[in-house]
Amino acid sequence: MPVTREGFEPLIVAFCCNWCSYAGADLAGTSRQPYPSNVRVIRVPCSGRVNPSFIIRAFQRGADGVLVAGCHPGDCHYHSGNYHARRRFTILKQLLEYLGIEPERFQVRWISGSEGAKFSAVMNELTENVRKLGQNRKLRDAR
Amino acid sequence: MSTASEKLRASAAEALACGRVSLVLGWRKKDFWWQSPVAFVEAAAEAEQLSFDPFSVYNPVKYLLEATECHEKVGVFVKGCDSRGINRLLQDKRLEREQVLIFGLPCSGKADPAKIRAVFPAQKIREVAQEGEELLVRLTDGQERVAAADFLLEKCLTCRHPNPVVFDELLWEPVPVRAGVDVSRFARVNSVAQKEILERYTYWARQFDRCIRCFACRNTCPACNCRSCIFDQAEPRWLGKASDLADTMNYQIIRAFHVAGRCFECGECERICPAGIPLQEMNRRLIMDIDKYFGPYEAGLDAGDSPPLGTYRGEDPAGFDES
Repeated sequence: MPVTREGFEPLIVAFCCNWCSYAGADLAGTSRQPYPSNVRVIRVPCSGRVNPSFIIRAFQRGADGVLVAGCHPGDCHYHSGNYHARRRFTILKQLLEYLGIEPERFQVRWISGSEGAKFSAVMNELTENVRKLGQNRKLRDAR
Repeated sequence: MSTASEKLRASAAEALACGRVSLVLGWRKKDFWWQSPVAFVEAAAEAEQLSFDPFSVYNPVKYLLEATECHEKVGVFVKGCDSRGINRLLQDKRLEREQVLIFGLPCSGKADPAKIRAVFPAQKIREVAQEGEELLVRLTDGQERVAAADFLLEKCLTCRHPNPVVFDELLWEPVPVRAGVDVSRFARVNSVAQKEILERYTYWARQFDRCIRCFACRNTCPACNCRSCIFDQAEPRWLGKASDLADTMNYQIIRAFHVAGRCFECGECERICPAGIPLQEMNRRLIMDIDKYFGPYEAGLDAGDSPPLGTYRGEDPAGFDES
């Protein structure tokens, strides 16, 4: 189904770590900080749990943008999960750009449980950036 | 017959005869001049079939995984690139050092049959043998000598470790590293990276569109040594079965990513790819980024260290917005 740029609503998948970013999303909610309904939050135990396959799979199944959000370095509930995630996604992000995926579509951010405002700001920014890019056709299933 | 082949046969026969090993992996000559597949020698009398010629390019190391399941100790001949595969298996704990007897073969590069066919008429070539720095091409009507360096495989042109990095016995003297390999190593990666973003995507989409998902790149790779591979799993099924570019890209991205920091640039994936996909341009891009962000690292040189994506430092830089 063709989507005109005016009528286009991006679909953003956000993998949020249970201990920080998901709590950040809760805080954004309870403190009435609005963020776009384009964002679908998927709760994961840790940013280190996010398998690069999840990201490719999300793009394949129709995501226009993917965010991985975790605790700030040093704050991981499991001590080192986000340090591993940082190395992993540093490399993956460069690889996706190299293969021609727009860098705005895949983002990694550190959002703590007390950063409700940041959560809402990041989601607004990401949604707007992806909206400008339009629908993602790369990596997408033909089915 | 070349003295190199004779040395292989003598070493294999001796190791098998005295019972140090019960199987030796090397190469043998097959029907055509460009074919030198991996040979499995189980008795000293069979060592005669071994040969080391300009096409003994296959990496026998991957076969160690199955060979060591039914043999207590296996002898294996390794070139520089193959030997790093052994370190790969040791580091991944898929192999114990005592399980292998390693014969090191310093190697100044293997020949590309396509380059030979481009110069000599294919139907006339009978045999191609290495004689020092030269290739001796025997044709149906006479023979010719050419410089071996002009007919090297693409992967051998950028080889930084022509001499085995792990071995029990070295069969002959080490050879020097080719001049200028460091300059050309990332040349292809940089030329792709310089393209515009949409151009890059169409470049890669065109490459991956040819992929028939034969998984040869995975099967030959000593870094792809998982007991069960996610691409074979039915539940969860990570990879669709349909011939779909998205699924192919999924496979290619994840395959490259799974060997990130563990790929030791043997280039076999690219060489054996029946569709001619430039896989090294992806593997080397990952190596470039790992060097840039986490410090220079070469996989397969030391079985004792830990691969860069299996470890971390608190002060690591991030390749994304950390604000």
